[in-house]
Amino acid sequence: MKTILAVDDSATMREMVAFVLESAGYRVIEAEDGAQGLDRATSTSCDLVITDQNMPNMDGLTLVRSLRELRDYKSVPILLLTTESSDSMKAQGRAAGATGWLVKPFDPATLLEVVQKVLR
Amino acid sequence: MNRAGNGSPEAKDAEQAADLLVTVASTLNERLALTADELARSQTMLREASNELMTAFRGAADRIVAAQREDLDTAGGKADEYGVVLDHLYRAVQHLQSHDLVNQLIDAQKMRVDKMREKLGEAISLATPPVRDPGGTEQWIERSRAMLDCIVAGIQQIDDDAKGARTDKRSAGSVDLF
Repeated sequence: MKTILAVDDSATMREMVAFVLESAGYRVIEAEDGAQGLDRATSTSCDLVITDQNMPNMDGLTLVRSLRELRDYKSVPILLLTTESSDSMKAQGRAAGATGWLVKPFDPATLLEVVQKVLR
Repeated sequence: MNRAGNGSPEAKDAEQAADLLVTVASTLNERLALTADELARSQTMLREASNELMTAFRGAADRIVAAQREDLDTAGGKADEYGVVLDHLYRAVQHLQSHDLVNQLIDAQKMRVDKMREKLGEAISLATPPVRDPGGTEQWIERSRAMLDCIVAGIQQIDDDAKGARTDKRSAGSVDLF
């Protein structure tokens, strides 16, 4: 079973993501900000990370950069799931090493399609 | 504040203008206080409704995920049946996210209103100390200018915040893979 780390400061959003992914057979672990996400990612081996951008303590882009510095996360897919939709933010995400950018609110079927695609 | 008293007519006009500015800033501040209160009440109502919906959703979601696993383990062959229920829950997921996002928008609006109220309060407080020379026009004008600068700074702050927070509705749900 693939393990996915869902990072978001909104408990509702984490629950929504977890439900959709668990209903499709994935194991989901959660973190409520970038710092906790980094901590979880280093203590558990994750196959995919889905993170929000605007969070306290550590934002999504900083988390992406920090994860990409870790040997175990050089090639693990990382998706940004955020309300931010500007091209400049997306460019920053790409430069930081993110695999993709999804804008909230997400469509569950689309999220599952993207997850399946990047985990292939 | 000290009155222009026997000062020149220009000084009296300038004093009246400063007084008017205080009245306008105070009235606006009172209206914004009401707005802040209404936003807070709306948010509380929305939050309570969201919590109830989430509890109901959680109950259904936990049950369907557990039943699905059980079905998979026992090869019960009910995947299609569960699929239909999941489709309904997926639709709920999309709308529950909107509740959460609206909450965040209200938070941002509340912050803007609070910042503006802070600036208006600052502007009003500039009118409190007595002027050195109540009969002089220049001091009243300076006071009005300082108050206006304060109000304009508040408006500018709101504009900057709004620019940063603006999201394109058409982008909602979009996906970019790099």
